[in-house]
Amino acid sequence: MADSRGGGGCCPPMDLFRSEPMQLVQLIVPIESAHLTVSYLGDLGLIQFKDLNSEKSPFQRTYAAQIKKCGEMARKLRFFKEQMEKAGVLPSLNSDAQADINMDDLELKLGELEAELVEVNANDEKLQRAYNELVEYKLVLQKAGEFFSSALSSAAAQQREIESRQSGEGSLETPLLDQELSADSSKQVKLGFVTGLVSKEKSLAFERIIFRATRGNVFLRQTAVEEPVTDPVSGEKVEKNVFVIFYSGERAKTKILKICDAFGANRYPFSEDVNKQSQMITQVSGRQTEMKTTIDAGSLQRNSLLKTIAERYEQWNSLVKKEKSIYHTLNTLSLDVTKKCLVGEGWSPVFATKQIHDALHRASIDSNSQVGSIFQVLDTKEGPPTYFRTNKFTTAFQEIVDAYGVAKYQEANPGVFTIATFPFLFAVMFGDWGHGICLLLATLVFIAREKKLSSQKLGDITEMAFGGRYVILMMSVFSIYTGLIYNEFFSVPFELFGRSAYDCRDPYCRDSTTIGLIKVRDTYPFGVDPVWHGTRSELPFLNSLKMKMSILLGVAQMNLGIILSFFNALYFKSSLNVWFQFVPQMIFLNSLFGYLSALIIIKWVTGSQADLYHVMIYMFLSPTDELGENQLFPGQKNLQMVLLLLALVAVPWMLFPKPFLLKREYEKTHQGQSYVPLPSTDESAELEAAHDGSHGGHEEFEFSEVFVHQMIHTIEFVLGAVSNTASYLRLWALSLAHSELSSVFYEKVLLLAWGFNNVFILIIGIIVFIFATVGVLLVMETLSAFLHALRLHWVEFQNKFYEGDGYKFSPFSFALIDLEEE
Amino acid sequence: MGFLVTTLIFVVVGIIASLCTRICCNRGPSTNLYASSLTLAPLLISQLHLTLVITATVSCWMMWAIVYLAQMKPLIVPILSEGE
Repeated sequence: MADSRGGGGCCPPMDLFRSEPMQLVQLIVPIESAHLTVSYLGDLGLIQFKDLNSEKSPFQRTYAAQIKKCGEMARKLRFFKEQMEKAGVLPSLNSDAQADINMDDLELKLGELEAELVEVNANDEKLQRAYNELVEYKLVLQKAGEFFSSALSSAAAQQREIESRQSGEGSLETPLLDQELSADSSKQVKLGFVTGLVSKEKSLAFERIIFRATRGNVFLRQTAVEEPVTDPVSGEKVEKNVFVIFYSGERAKTKILKICDAFGANRYPFSEDVNKQSQMITQVSGRQTEMKTTIDAGSLQRNSLLKTIAERYEQWNSLVKKEKSIYHTLNTLSLDVTKKCLVGEGWSPVFATKQIHDALHRASIDSNSQVGSIFQVLDTKEGPPTYFRTNKFTTAFQEIVDAYGVAKYQEANPGVFTIATFPFLFAVMFGDWGHGICLLLATLVFIAREKKLSSQKLGDITEMAFGGRYVILMMSVFSIYTGLIYNEFFSVPFELFGRSAYDCRDPYCRDSTTIGLIKVRDTYPFGVDPVWHGTRSELPFLNSLKMKMSILLGVAQMNLGIILSFFNALYFKSSLNVWFQFVPQMIFLNSLFGYLSALIIIKWVTGSQADLYHVMIYMFLSPTDELGENQLFPGQKNLQMVLLLLALVAVPWMLFPKPFLLKREYEKTHQGQSYVPLPSTDESAELEAAHDGSHGGHEEFEFSEVFVHQMIHTIEFVLGAVSNTASYLRLWALSLAHSELSSVFYEKVLLLAWGFNNVFILIIGIIVFIFATVGVLLVMETLSAFLHALRLHWVEFQNKFYEGDGYKFSPFSFALIDLEEE
Repeated sequence: MGFLVTTLIFVVVGIIASLCTRICCNRGPSTNLYASSLTLAPLLISQLHLTLVITATVSCWMMWAIVYLAQMKPLIVPILSEGE
């Protein structure tokens, strides 16, 4: 399958490992069946159309009018949705009424529904406003009535008092006041008044302004309305005050009216007459109930209208979306000169050829077209898009890789190994089987409720965790494994796999705290010996172990990366890359860091006391010196000299031959320009050209550019070999941090709380422990270990072989449209 | 010895796991976005699974082997804390 397009039969064709073979295809579709054809292809979703009209603006294209129509329909649907949300009507999900609807009918229907809805809304708004006015009016009547009646009663009381005083001895204390009062009552002026409502926030300013404008010649009373009132104009709930303003004179009146308008204070007529007041109140109440029933009837009608819309909403929506995307796609096709057919070009996977044929065939039959569509494969030099067929398990891993860069067409996909190594490296930093089980349970919840959760909308973080549920599953499984290896269960070790290898030197255990225990049995068979936990030598031992482990794992992963570059070279049939890139890189890395790894293992196996730092440093500084006590095996000195020499040779080997050979190859292929180059050599030349950043095939060969590129590549690799190996030490640092943190939480919180022998303190301790474990270890540590694992894959692993400068296959597919727009 | 025996166990587990994937996961690519069927697919997908199982087994074995080897000839011995 892979070798259908210049692939070498070297490596087994593996799903995901290389992009699906793609082809550029041309479709010639008669114009009458174009719509149906594109719709069937959209159902199939395996073809990515190229825009053949990119020089035309959206308005100049063939189907601009239809797109505009669809846009209009989408707007109407959005309006319906808004209205439905306001009314609390949910669009029903059952799409059993899958009757075929004509687009024109749908357009008409949507228009009618919109007009109806708009009318109903307008009526409703009008009624609502009138109703709110009535409510306000009623309030004014009540509150102002209270003023007047209280004023009346107090006035009557005053009157009585005055009368009694006058009739009695007369008040000696306040003779002047008396006079004034009596004078006031005798000289009655006709006062006018205004009643209404003003919002509470503005009431103070309102009062002040009125006071100033009339120079204090008013009497203003306000009372707060207990409950917020719906403002008739804005339709919002506002806290309001009922006011009554007494004034004298026309000028004051006009001023007050203006101020009322400016403050948005609604005025209502009010009568002084008590009888009239009560009459009005009953009248207003009556009208209010009438209005209420009208409004209810109106909203009932509106709801039933919205419900009918809601039943079909999803169907219409997806129909309109599909239609719009079909026209957008049709716009990318170019019109034939005869104006009878549309010509389209696009990428499709080779395996889909038959399906596309079928779809075209069906479309031409279903649309009763006289002529069938033509489907043909084009030859091209353009780089095809990259397409990996992923499933729900592999998608998340592939996304991790794609976030760095989409694979160049048919280059080895790091995603394959990422599925296993990413969770593994994560787990090296997150080794605790207690925490692993917690993570596992959390992600199992996600997976068990997968069907339900995938259909509903989630929050940002939940969405992310849900999308990566299978990544987290793998991570948790691996961290249970590494937790068993590290022998940590919430930092507590267990003797699960046999007895500890260590024991006291004598029956009384006198030396156990000074010299230490002694190894008496076989090595603990699986993982770290539980006896180490809590000992004084735990940290030195674990540090040395984890540091060396990081280097070993790192060297192994980097070797895997370089080996993948070998597979790439084989696949693209570039012997140049095998001999002048893969081989020297292997030699360089392994003669230095491969050797270091070997030394580490030899030291462990032999139990030698040699100082590996010393060995490595003096391997460079003075390779000819005798190693003395640091010698691990006979002939080490000579081997080191050979390895050093190899490493030194590997650098120019990487740097020089490749640019010169490329130049020679270029000259060879371009000597006889009249001859057409053979396809195979052409391809490799093109490949090299593409590798060096130019995609045209027959472009000018810039030697200096190629050389500089190669130099950068070499320097990057040589320096990278050192820095990348050092970078893997993050595995040590993070796993150490994790185990130390969890042991701190266990000892300083849980054990401390336990020591108090108090149930209450113990419960608090347990709660704090749980929160610290979940918050710090399960959430934050997971995130940081995830990020570091990500970096190790993106930088240290992928820079050995991965170009990542391809582009993704994004087919025209209805299934994808639905996903996108949600 | 212990090292070889456990390594053998890892090899056996790896083989069993890869056989399991051949039996269980031979349903072809369950592509979620693009419905498609291919006659060759079962063979291909199992190759992917095989690679994954081998990679995972090798990584796990490496981790175990490193820890085991590091404890074989200890240069540091556990020294109990004063409190105990």
